Amino acid sequence: MSQPNQAQPVIALRDVTKTYPSPAGAFTALADINLTIDRGEFVVVVGQSGSGKSTLLNLLAGIDRPTTGEVIVGGTAVHALSERAKSQWRGRAVGIVFQFFQLLPTLTAAENVMLPMDFCGTWPGRERKGRALALLERLGVADQADKLPATLSGGQQQRVAVARALANAPAVLLADEPTGNLDSRTSDAMMDVLAGLVREGQTLVMVTHEHAVMRHASRTVTLVDGRIHA
Amino acid sequence: MLDPRWRKVLRDLWLHKSRTVLVVLAIAAGIAGAGAVLNTWALVRRVTREQFLVSHPASATLRTDSIDAALIARVRSLPDVREAEARRTVFASARTPGGWSRAVLYALADFSTNRIGVIKPETGAWPPEDGALVIERSSLAFSGASVGEPLSLVMGNGEPLAVAVTGIARDVGLAPGWMEHVVYGFVTPGTLARLGAPGTMDELQVLVGDGSLDREAIRRIAYEVKAVIEGTGRRVTNVEVPEPGRHIHAAQMDSLLYTQGAFGLLALFLSGFLVVNLISAMLAGQVKEIGIMKAIGASPGQLAGMYLGLALVLGLLASALALPVAGYAGREYAELKAELLNFDLTGTAIPFWVIALQCAVGALMPVAAAALPVARGCRITVSEALRDLGLTRGGVASGGVLTRATGVARPLLLSLRNAFRRRQRMALTLLALATGGGVYLGALNLRASIRGAVDLLYQPMRFQLVLRFTRPWPADSIEAALRAIPGVSGAEAWSSAAAAVAYEDGTLGDGFSITAPPAASGLLAYEATSGRWLEPGDTTALVISRALLRDEPGLAVGQEVTLAIAGRPTRWTIVGVVSAGPGTSAFAPRETVAGLTGDSRVASAVVATEIAGPASRLEWVGHVRGELEARGLTVQSTQLLSEGRRVMEDHLLMVADFLGVMAWLMIVVGGLGLASTMSLSVLERTREIGVLRAIGARHRSILTMVQVEGLVIAILSWAVAIPLSVPMSVLLGQAFGRIMLPVPLRFAPEMTGVLLWLALVVGVSVVACAWPAFRATRITTAAALAYE
Repeated sequence: MSQPNQAQPVIALRDVTKTYPSPAGAFTALADINLTIDRGEFVVVVGQSGSGKSTLLNLLAGIDRPTTGEVIVGGTAVHALSERAKSQWRGRAVGIVFQFFQLLPTLTAAENVMLPMDFCGTWPGRERKGRALALLERLGVADQADKLPATLSGGQQQRVAVARALANAPAVLLADEPTGNLDSRTSDAMMDVLAGLVREGQTLVMVTHEHAVMRHASRTVTLVDGRIHA
Repeated sequence: MLDPRWRKVLRDLWLHKSRTVLVVLAIAAGIAGAGAVLNTWALVRRVTREQFLVSHPASATLRTDSIDAALIARVRSLPDVREAEARRTVFASARTPGGWSRAVLYALADFSTNRIGVIKPETGAWPPEDGALVIERSSLAFSGASVGEPLSLVMGNGEPLAVAVTGIARDVGLAPGWMEHVVYGFVTPGTLARLGAPGTMDELQVLVGDGSLDREAIRRIAYEVKAVIEGTGRRVTNVEVPEPGRHIHAAQMDSLLYTQGAFGLLALFLSGFLVVNLISAMLAGQVKEIGIMKAIGASPGQLAGMYLGLALVLGLLASALALPVAGYAGREYAELKAELLNFDLTGTAIPFWVIALQCAVGALMPVAAAALPVARGCRITVSEALRDLGLTRGGVASGGVLTRATGVARPLLLSLRNAFRRRQRMALTLLALATGGGVYLGALNLRASIRGAVDLLYQPMRFQLVLRFTRPWPADSIEAALRAIPGVSGAEAWSSAAAAVAYEDGTLGDGFSITAPPAASGLLAYEATSGRWLEPGDTTALVISRALLRDEPGLAVGQEVTLAIAGRPTRWTIVGVVSAGPGTSAFAPRETVAGLTGDSRVASAVVATEIAGPASRLEWVGHVRGELEARGLTVQSTQLLSEGRRVMEDHLLMVADFLGVMAWLMIVVGGLGLASTMSLSVLERTREIGVLRAIGARHRSILTMVQVEGLVIAILSWAVAIPLSVPMSVLLGQAFGRIMLPVPLRFAPEMTGVLLWLALVVGVSVVACAWPAFRATRITTAAALAYE
């Protein structure tokens, strides 16, 4: 529940470079990235496969560490956090929506949503269930609350995944091709949901290669070979 | 309400329920094994304390001439003496269902004031009256006596006397009569007189005032008492100071239970391998889930807590299963042990701390076992976890033997390669099973060693029958009478004496027996481990046993030693040391020993015969007895050497079997481990099995593939167990040496044992793999290909 200064950008990347070692030598996934995103923005990151979209998202989520440069999210210097600190920070400051939903198969929809609150202790124990149900209601899947993920459709699973990402009221929502595994109708519905969240003030950074979703975005960042294309 | 993460833990366990059950069973087997031994030890220890110490066992016993009230009063007045009592022990014979057997009768001037080695009446009359016998409980079944019925007793060459059995009592200081083949009883001095024994008391039992004194301190007090007795002009023939507060068999029992406990803990440790396998497999299958949980805020500590919590649940479930089993088995085993020690377990509860300790070990062992794989699994970064390729990991090293193997059928090759895919898991499973096999082979080796030790013990004895006469006779008459009996190929009359080493300061060592064959004996010839055996012409030559040398380390071959025999000092020269069993003993020429005991007559003989076969020999023994009695030589008892040997071997093998039980426990744990491993293997290869089915594999092929994979591990365990049996044989042999008697260690397992172990491990493998193999055949192609 990070509350960044309203005047400050909620995300700031300064001279960020990310290289990976490989048998063929170092591979540069991102180079000299400078990017700021303000609160309430819906930024879509596009680019071809291998352009560095997912790497960028991983850096914002603290999943990867930049080789050089700074990553500031919600006022926190993510690049400087230890692995242990990053887990707790990530749980509170960012919500992540994956392409393949990644719900835990042995937990019900409501329990999946309660899990981040449980890990981060953001809500008192007795309030977690109510909040989870409220989020599922907001995403239109409250009636699926007690079902296991395997019994839900792809669209329903992704809505539960979004509800889980919102569980700790993060400053930033990061979505990695959230519609990539959905049919076009479900995909449109999902985009409506995400756009609705942005209208309510949620900052959203979405990686996609689907041009159709760009119409919902307030800004598009295009990556070409690891660099932002002007 | 449980937090979602703990619900996930429980559901993961449920998802893996068949493997969870196997692991829980294996841990439970380990806890039950170790717990049962711990319960037994605690119960026996408690009962020993509560019953043995409460009976106020004698701190020292002095044998002297007749004891009167004035002497007892003088001893009681010594500052370090708390209590003194006089009694007489008489050796007689009792008519039992098996014939005349040895009887040991204890007489006190007044049983109602008995305060040392307190005898506890159980049923019937107490104290015994003149002409009556109260029988010691452990002798009851063996003697065939019952309360209200008469029992025939005879002493020396006296007339048999029918004595009424009026009650049953327990003396916890005595070894059980049924084990010793002795009828123990309590009688009045008046009854002794009727049997022809002196009615006066000749043993002074002393209880020291300070219960914390060690054996040496008590020995000093005993010699103060000895000085007081000798000051009255009496002779003291023996001073016995047992280990204070310790039952005569307590050390043996402790050694046995410690050894069993150690193997129980080993079984528990092996069950920890299964926990490692299960948790590692779970973590490997949940790498992505770990990544997701980290991505939504879980710290490594929280994740580790979840998986360690899962291990804790396994431990708690296993403890819940094992504790009642351990309690029941421990109580049953303790009852057996208590019976062997002549105690009564009734009403004794397992101490709370023992149960708490089992709970703690049972719950925490899986947590400790899981710690390393959990720490490793939870350290993975989110990016590594999300990139995880999951179930396709783990393979056979390219270029290895298995990838280059040719001429092997492809399904067999697949099974062989599969067995080596998860090498750590295979190694742990193999080690668990092989350790059980090692102990199993070690236990078989121990049995062979025991038989070898008994062979060595009986090899020097070239006779088949031992006779005891009701009174002493000249040796020549006995030998002449025996040699005249058909079937007798050799006979010697032997003497014996009770002795103790007399030290220069006037104190005596612990008592031991001297067996005295003729110096030129043709029926007894030990091979000396140092020095030599008795030779014709020896007079004061003494051969000592290794057990006596262990108790009296100051003795040496060539040394002169003074022994107190019948209260008189006698000089001997130690000429040799022999291995003659667990008891302290020595050997000296009959001609000298018989002279020391007052006259040159002897009361026992050994006889050799060519007659073979148990039935013929028994008939012959009856004939010998009849012939001797016709010549006026009344026989008190006869014992065939083969019978004595069998009893001894059975006793020793019983201890070996107690140790062997732990091998079975470990094999059970190993078998459960193999079942769990194969179950995990089938689960992880669900997709592969689906592919195999899609390309035409039948039920039988799948079944064979799983069974062969299990057999590969089993056969490897079989092979590993063979070298592993060497240290196990040494450990078991040494443990047995501490408990009973040293045995010659065998290192190489016998071929029959190796083949038995092979058959056993193959059987275990077939049973352990049956369910996983069946489950594998139930996997449909569609379900398998949809499996992630």
